[in-house]
Amino acid sequence: MKLAKHKFRVGAISLMIALFFNISPALAFCGFYVAQADGDLYNQASQVIMARDGDRTVLTMANDYQGEVENFALVVPVPVVLKEEQVQVQTPKIIKRIDNFSAPRLVEYFDDNPCRPQGPILHSLESTASQTEAGRAQSADSLGVTVEEEFDVGEYSIVILSAKESKGLETWLQQNNYNIPDGASDLLQPYIRQNLKFFVAKVNLEKYNPDKFTSLRPLQMAYESSRFILPIRLGTLNAQGNQDLLVYILSPKGQAEVTNYRTVKIPSDVQIPVYIKEEEKFPEFYQSMFEKSWEKNNGKTVFLEYAWDMSKCDPCSAQPLNSEELKNAGVFWDDNSVFITRLHVRYNHNLYPQDLRFQETPNREFFQGRYVIRHPYDGQANCPEAESYYERVRDRQEKNAKTLANLTGWKLSEIEEKIDFVETEGNASEVWWRQLFD
Amino acid sequence: MKQAKAILDQTTLNIDLRDLQIFALSFFLLLGLISQGFDFALNSQTILVAIVASVSTQYLADLFIKQKEMPELISRSALITGLGLCLLLRTNSWEIMAFAAVSAVLSKFLIKYRGKHLFNPANFGIISVLCLTDGAWVSPGQWGESFFLALLFISVGGLILTWLGRWETTAIFLLVYGLGIALRNQWLGFGPEIWWHEINSGSLLLFAFFMISDPRSIPDGKWGRIIWSSAIALLTLILKYQFFLATAPFFALFFLSLLTPIFDDFWQGKRFSWTWTTFQLGGNQNEASKA
Repeated sequence: MKLAKHKFRVGAISLMIALFFNISPALAFCGFYVAQADGDLYNQASQVIMARDGDRTVLTMANDYQGEVENFALVVPVPVVLKEEQVQVQTPKIIKRIDNFSAPRLVEYFDDNPCRPQGPILHSLESTASQTEAGRAQSADSLGVTVEEEFDVGEYSIVILSAKESKGLETWLQQNNYNIPDGASDLLQPYIRQNLKFFVAKVNLEKYNPDKFTSLRPLQMAYESSRFILPIRLGTLNAQGNQDLLVYILSPKGQAEVTNYRTVKIPSDVQIPVYIKEEEKFPEFYQSMFEKSWEKNNGKTVFLEYAWDMSKCDPCSAQPLNSEELKNAGVFWDDNSVFITRLHVRYNHNLYPQDLRFQETPNREFFQGRYVIRHPYDGQANCPEAESYYERVRDRQEKNAKTLANLTGWKLSEIEEKIDFVETEGNASEVWWRQLFD
Repeated sequence: MKQAKAILDQTTLNIDLRDLQIFALSFFLLLGLISQGFDFALNSQTILVAIVASVSTQYLADLFIKQKEMPELISRSALITGLGLCLLLRTNSWEIMAFAAVSAVLSKFLIKYRGKHLFNPANFGIISVLCLTDGAWVSPGQWGESFFLALLFISVGGLILTWLGRWETTAIFLLVYGLGIALRNQWLGFGPEIWWHEINSGSLLLFAFFMISDPRSIPDGKWGRIIWSSAIALLTLILKYQFFLATAPFFALFFLSLLTPIFDDFWQGKRFSWTWTTFQLGGNQNEASKA
């Protein structure tokens, strides 16, 4: 399969752009893309919002489809047959909003004048991370395939299929001009046997107006099922290498976690050198750190990047979503008590043999990926305390350099070259005998 | 020759197998605490509460319910229960952990049938806080999938169970559970890597080696134990795959424990007692077989 050219808009300072740009030149989604005819397909990363209370789920799927719209097609296993009123298109803004709200952050502090003793004060809170353009881009009886429902929603034409056996489904998809990757039927069979249905979407070219939409909007579906899963296996089929998936789980109860893989917190609350901000290296830093943590855990790990109560958020790391935005994100329960969990999965065919299974827990502990920089005082300081202050700053700078090297795997010597170390009396450049012989 | 034997007898060390179990569980807890993935809602305060609550409840119950004149100050069995709760139960509230520990230990004294307690104490504690409170959960994925951990759990757990002479519950549970998953995977068309992924789960192995093997609450007869643990495995599979219950093994054990008296009626066997299980290191074999 040919990959389309990287058509990336590097707009706002975007952590995730950096995150996905280099690492995952692969197709990704909880379903897989299949092309009608041999189109070029490209998908960078997927984002999914799951609002869930009890057995009720509202699933919003956004993806970064980069190919031609007429070639867009999507197959997602779903637990029940969905009717027209259970599916709608959603504004891409909501994904971006949730992403901004929950993205890992760089926080900045400034040291005060050491000659006026006082603790460091929080000067500004910078939200550095945001997200890529969301939702970009983009009979049968003898085969044992039943078209359960068929309808149009927004720019999409959707069929809901149930199938008796995978070969039949594969044939049906092929006959209907969906070009399925090799090996699809092996992956489809377990879903059929588990009595899952298939949500198949393509772009309705009559309704799609390229002038009106710059990208395909996210699809949102509501259903009731005790299965709390996200099918990722199909997405590994035509993938080359690792794929990134961000899952935002909204629950009235508390944190969500994955039950069949380990969920761990991404390293957080660490001090890193000031140049990371000044040279705009934060996206690069996060990317390297994520990669290192992922490798350290042998890849078989889901990372928690954010967990917060949106209704009682005091303190709040960002402006919480208002009730309109929550509704767009799929929150259907009344009291607007929403706990958000952001999970980041980097998966591939070998490391994640199973779909993700989730559970919601009553854990209401807050967590965020938060990285701190502390600027040394840059005014004049001539008091006796200043000397020990600068020594402390130098120690701190050395420690931060080591922390950064540990977290990212970058070379310590290269990091140290970039750090603007403060001058202290006992500097290495100051040779001890000079004081004696001068 | 006789002299040598006399020296050997003198150096024989008496080790209570429960001490070994305590050591193993503490080691696992430490291992979990050190590895970064185990930082979910487990802190030193919760651990302390679990252990103190279990041990002191045991002491008070021995004193007042059993009316022992000189109860053990630190009961080994209560310590095992406390450690088990720390390893398997997650909560942010020390009150809930205390409640779990107290109900776990009290269940041994209050819920009995013909002088034998029905439930594994830690299992009872976990189920009671899962059902009665809204602040506890179990994290089946917390140990992840690690060959090293699996090997450790299996070897340490297996060793203790062999000495206890009660290994069949664990073996049969894992056998039936593994076979069930293999058949299901075969039918669904999953490859062997999924079977391995399901079996190589730290939480499952911990449950199999350190919870359902509890010799005091399992059926006394050998055949009873074999059928009983097969039933737990089958119920676990049903709860997990039909009802999507992440806590399936705990509920399966809980429900089957209710039926233990029936198993004991059908298949009678010698009741287990910890007093036979002093393992003599460097000495002769387990006394249990002779008792």
